[in-house]
Amino acid sequence: MKRTTPLSRFGLHATLAVLVVWSVLPFLWTFQTSIKFTRDVAAKEPVLWGYETTANAYRAFWLDADDVNMWSVLLYIAVVAAICVALGQTGRRVRHGWPWFAAVALVIFAALWRFPKIWEANDEYDFLINSIVVTVLTMIISLSIGLLAGYGLARYTGISGAVILIIALGFRALPRTAFVLPYFFGAKEIDDWLTRTGVGSWDFPLIDFPGIDTLQILDTRLAIVLALVAVNQPFTIWMFRSFFMEVPKEIEEAAMMDGATRLQAFRKVIIPMMWPAIIATGLFTMLLAYNEYLFVRVLAPTEWTLPVAIVSLTGGESSRTITEAAAASVSITLPIVVVIILFQKHLVKGLGAGAVKG
Amino acid sequence: MSTITLDKLTKVYPNGFQAITDLSLTLSEGEFLVLVGPSGCGKSTALRMIAGLEDISSGDLYVGDRRLNDVPPKDRDIAMVFQSYALYPQMTVAENIGFPLKLRKVAKKDRLQQVEQAAQVLELTEQLESKPSMLSGGQRQRVAMGRAIVRKPALFLMDEPLSNLDAKLRVQMRADIAAIQSDLGVTTFYVTHDQVEAMTMGERVAVIKDGVLQQVAPPEELYDHPDNVFVAAFIGSPSMNLYEASLSATDSGGYHLRLGDHQLAVSPSVMNTRPGLAQYVDQPLVVGIRPEDLEDAAVAPEHPSDQRISAKIEVREALGAETLMHFSIAAPTVDSGDPDALDELGEEDTGRCTARFSAATRARVGDNIEINVDTDHLHFFDPTTHKAIRS
Repeated sequence: MKRTTPLSRFGLHATLAVLVVWSVLPFLWTFQTSIKFTRDVAAKEPVLWGYETTANAYRAFWLDADDVNMWSVLLYIAVVAAICVALGQTGRRVRHGWPWFAAVALVIFAALWRFPKIWEANDEYDFLINSIVVTVLTMIISLSIGLLAGYGLARYTGISGAVILIIALGFRALPRTAFVLPYFFGAKEIDDWLTRTGVGSWDFPLIDFPGIDTLQILDTRLAIVLALVAVNQPFTIWMFRSFFMEVPKEIEEAAMMDGATRLQAFRKVIIPMMWPAIIATGLFTMLLAYNEYLFVRVLAPTEWTLPVAIVSLTGGESSRTITEAAAASVSITLPIVVVIILFQKHLVKGLGAGAVKG
Repeated sequence: MSTITLDKLTKVYPNGFQAITDLSLTLSEGEFLVLVGPSGCGKSTALRMIAGLEDISSGDLYVGDRRLNDVPPKDRDIAMVFQSYALYPQMTVAENIGFPLKLRKVAKKDRLQQVEQAAQVLELTEQLESKPSMLSGGQRQRVAMGRAIVRKPALFLMDEPLSNLDAKLRVQMRADIAAIQSDLGVTTFYVTHDQVEAMTMGERVAVIKDGVLQQVAPPEELYDHPDNVFVAAFIGSPSMNLYEASLSATDSGGYHLRLGDHQLAVSPSVMNTRPGLAQYVDQPLVVGIRPEDLEDAAVAPEHPSDQRISAKIEVREALGAETLMHFSIAAPTVDSGDPDALDELGEEDTGRCTARFSAATRARVGDNIEINVDTDHLHFFDPTTHKAIRS
């Protein structure tokens, strides 16, 4: 039994209250800014209460555009559908909160039904699609590599395994900025070579994407994804390794005695046990990719993702763009908040199991 | 199903440690063989070599005529029950039991039927839809058994399957496993460190120490005619009392066993049934006395008075049907080499002795009593090789 006096309890709660205010205040401020009129935002004294609210900033960010980009619409629909399927699948695997996932899927479908009417080709939507593509691809690639490498390193205890882990940890410890320029120059070298040899302008019949004439690395989503996967890999490997270490070796051996090959044992017995780990690691990877600024800014001068797009809004003098930037911030944060609330349990479990944080 | 042959199986680890040396055993069809030994003696390694989870350094493993050395575990037609059960936590009991069948692509209808059957044998019908985490230890144990029996393998391997259960359940499961095994008639190789388990379950028991096979025999023979000091001390509870002693001829043509301060008359029948003993007259030897071959002289006064020792009772354990008495006799004890043996009293030189008296004994702690020794049932061993002296 813990001994608590009323005083210590008061102290604890007071400290927590301060911490909550401290962390929530910036977001509240942003939210408030996003629903104010420009005049209130620009006022000399901050207007904290009793101001007139408006959705103008949201409308300006999301609906201010000229023509419809059908390709983006289709891609968006495909991505949303994929997300719904993925949510449903994880819901089934995790075996709790079915209604939750069903509700989310319903909300997304409702939005989708309404979407074609409000969709107007607007840079913001390209950025949104860039964000989704980059996030999803980064998650898929780094989770696949991390799962296999983590499993290998958990089961193989030789000296070279330890060396790989230490090197991974070292790379994790290096600052981001140390990676950006090498990636930039590397991508530039490849692009130069593609132009010089003419390979970049070859006609590839199967990958003839609309709007892409020449093959290049720099300023593409591919560049961002590759860089993010590389930066994130040490984390996923360490995280998965620590989860795999908790899976007793006998379970695999039992599967092999039952008639499974090593790969079958991994696929049919070990992976299903790893869903909590996959979800937790996936969430951290998602946060990293979705929120990334530096790599996108340097490697993709025009193919922005949402965080870069928002920062571009704050650069101007006009306070109208300030409210728009605030509205954009709130818009791109909300999906993440929803996902985090849904998977909170796994996230905490992941933090406890993995020695390193995302 | 067919005979299983282990021919000089040897396991040497990369660091040079030799876990198993020249293990040769043959299991006839449907036999229940128990491999028993103290912890760290290599018995689990032997099992894992048969399973295919460890490489065989040298020697051959056959099921029937088929050499299995280089066959991967999944193709060996061998099922294994693990000490930790190793159930698949995300699957229900039915899915766990049905997993081997699923891997063999058995049609769903047949699979469900076979799972149902196995569950009936193991009394798990009610739990089929539960997850392993919801089951008790005994039920988990039975699920692990179910996973093994459902595919009707050529050989069952069991690696200390009862060691995680509490004592009462262990006794019950012991009987259950033996019953299921004899019903199914599948050849079984069972590994345990518990000699009671070995004696009660095995048709034959193989005793192993430091990776070397000591003796293979049916339980009664192992108990009555141990091949060496280690087997003698390891099998039986409480264990056999072992002392350094010497044998000398008397003027009247008989023999005397000198056991510290005590002298026991050895009847001619003892010498006649063990002709080899004659060579040890006036030589040091090791003598072993089972606790039940000692009896309170007050209970059985008709016993020859020259086959008695006297001692002072130190500890008395009344078990109801019998009473265990602990006392010391002034003879040096012999180390059997069992690393698990507890040195309860910690006094090396005062020959510790345990006796199993009938409940009729009136002796109490502190009493000085006379104790009958059944010299016909004494066990004799060579003091250097520790091998039994028989013929």
